Order: sequence, then C-alpha cells, then structure tokens
Amino acid sequence: MTFETLFAASHVYIGNTIWYLVVFAILMLLVKHYAWGPVSDMMEKRRQKVIEDLDSAESNRKKAEILANEREAALKNSRQEATQILSDAKTNAQKIGSQIVADANNDAASIREKAEADAKKAKADAINDARREVADISVAIAEKIIAKNLSAEDQKDLVDQFIKGLND
Amino acid sequence: MEKPLVFEFLGLKFDLVGIIGSTLMALAVLFICIWLSRKVELRPNKKQNVIEYLLNFTNGIVKDNVSDPDAQKHLSLYAFVLFLFIWFMNQLGMFLEVKVGDWMVIKSPTADPVATMSFAMMTLLLSFTFGVQKFGVGGYLRNYTAPVGFLLPINLIEEFTNFLTLSLRLYGNIYAGEVLLTLLGDRLAMSGGIPTIILAAPLAMIWQGFSVFIGSIQAYVFVTLSMVYIGKKVAKE
Repeated sequence: MTFETLFAASHVYIGNTIWYLVVFAILMLLVKHYAWGPVSDMMEKRRQKVIEDLDSAESNRKKAEILANEREAALKNSRQEATQILSDAKTNAQKIGSQIVADANNDAASIREKAEADAKKAKADAINDARREVADISVAIAEKIIAKNLSAEDQKDLVDQFIKGLND
Repeated sequence: MEKPLVFEFLGLKFDLVGIIGSTLMALAVLFICIWLSRKVELRPNKKQNVIEYLLNFTNGIVKDNVSDPDAQKHLSLYAFVLFLFIWFMNQLGMFLEVKVGDWMVIKSPTADPVATMSFAMMTLLLSFTFGVQKFGVGGYLRNYTAPVGFLLPINLIEEFTNFLTLSLRLYGNIYAGEVLLTLLGDRLAMSGGIPTIILAAPLAMIWQGFSVFIGSIQAYVFVTLSMVYIGKKVAKE
C-alpha cells in the first residue's frame, strides 16, 4: 500500500501547483481586503494613538507643573503684597495721627495766644474806657460841686491822683 | 487501497483531493478571518484580540528573521496567510478523512509532496523577487559568490536543497501522521472486531492530539524557514 501511494503521490500533477498558487493568491487578496488590511491599519492607528496619548500626557504634566509653580509664586507675591500694604497702612496711619495731633496742638496754642491777646486788649480797652469815663464823670462832678472854673491842669492832677488810687 | 483522483484538463493533470482540500481550507481561512475582523475597533473586542494575536505572532516571525523594514511590511501579509493556510491544511486530515469506495476524497493537502513543493516554490520565487528588487539582477547574482567566489556551486546547491527540505519536511510529517492514523483506524480497528475497536479508539485519539501539535509546529517551521530564506536574500552581506 505504502509503495503504491508513494508512487501515486509522485505522479507530478502540475495542474495542482497552479491551482494552489491561484487559490493562495486569491486568498491573500481577499484576506488583505477583509481582515489583514483593516486589522493592521487599526493596530497602527492604536500604536499612533498610544504614542500621542503618552506625548500629550507628558506635555499636560509639564503644563500642570508650570501652572502649579506659577500659582505658588503668585501666592507668595500676594502674601508679600499684603504685608507691604499692611505696613504701609500702619506707617501712613501713624504719620496722619501724629500730623493730626501736631495740628491740634498748634491750633490750641494759637487759640490760646489769640485768647490771651484778646483778653489783654479787652483789659486795656476797659481800662482806657474807664479812665475816660471817670475823667468825664469826675469833671462833671467837679464842675457841679465846685461850680467854679477849674483849670484843666488841676483837673488832670485830680484825675491822675484818682486813677492812681484805682490802680492801687 | 487508496487511489488518487486524477483527471486531465487542458493537458494538465489535476488531483481532485488536493484541489478539494486546499479550496475548502482556503474558504475556512477566509471566513474565519472575516468573522474575526468583522468589527474592527480602536478598543479591541474579543474576536479582534484573537486575530491581532495571530497577526502579532506571524509579524514576530517576520521581524525575527527579516531585518529589512521594507520587506517586513510586504512579508507580513504573506506570513499571516501562509501560516493560517498551512495550519488549516495540516489539521484537515486530522479530523476529516472522507473515503468514497477506494477513493480518498478529503485528506490533508499537505500530505502530498506536490502541494508542499508548490508552497516551497512560492517562497523560493518570492525570495528571488525580493533579492532582485533589493540588489538588482547583477547585485543579486553577485550575492551567489559571496562571501568568496569558490562558494558559488555550494550556494547554488543550497538554493535547491532549501527548496527540497522546506517542502519535504512538511510533507513527511503530515504524511506520516496520516499513515499512522489510517493504520490505527483501518487496520488495527478492523482486524479483530469489537476489542480492537475499543483498543484503537484511545490510541487514535492520542495520535490525533499529537498530530495537531505536529501540524502546528510544522506550519510554524515552514513559515519561519520561508522567512529565513527570504531574509537571507535581502540582508546586506
């Protein structure tokens, strides 16, 4: 049996070779169109997508890092600014406060001076007024009492003596 | 007694067994490929995983043995289809041997040296094509005298022995498997009535399992050696 089948197999049927090649070629074309093409395209696409995703993840990470650094820097800045503003406000307030106190002191001093001057003037005025009135009154009294002409010099002496008495 | 179903057409001899087997298996490969890749998505589904695993496997064979990236791209499809086709043809005779009278109608087409020589010849012609494409006709012919001139006859003989070993290794393995399976199933089982049938069943089962393994290994070896031969032709000396 073995010998005969071997003999049969060694019959060279070239037709089969052509048939195999044609079948294989057609199979290759169809598999390429229906299976191999789409699948390897998709594998390539997936490979690209993975590469893209890795790249974008890397860049996103870098971006996030930069943002975090910026935020930290901004926070630090704002803290410094806040302290600056606070200290500025404090110094300003102190300056304004001392200014106000100084102004008030000045005002008080000037008001006191003015009041003193006014008082002095009023006193002088009052004294002068009184002097004139007293002179007039005394002249009138003297005229009435003495009923005779009295020289102006005597009158003045009289008045001075009177005023001296007042001062004392 | 097995007789080949040979007929003549246009002056060429055709063997119906090989034609039926190869055509059936080509259709099986085609339908399984189409079924596995019906919905191809960026996020792979289960069927897509299977075909992508197979494609990665054959691409791995190509990449391991062919260093030229341009040839790699072209050989990916060839290796994929060749592997699946030969694997299916090897397995056909394991589970399906149809005999009509004395005529064996369906068996592994690769248990026939004409079939294996056809595929080996395809690889050989493909290696010539890739070599000529890469180096030009002159450069390709000059490669036969590399690395030294007196190796020319050895290089020429090697071409022929590569072709023979590639085809006859596959043929021998599958043919031996089928012969033993026929012996177990026909001769042993039918020799002594029920006891021998009971004895033959587990033996045939074990041998079938082993033949599946051999068929897979031989398909892998065939594709790998094809790639080695082609890779050698496109490699820079």
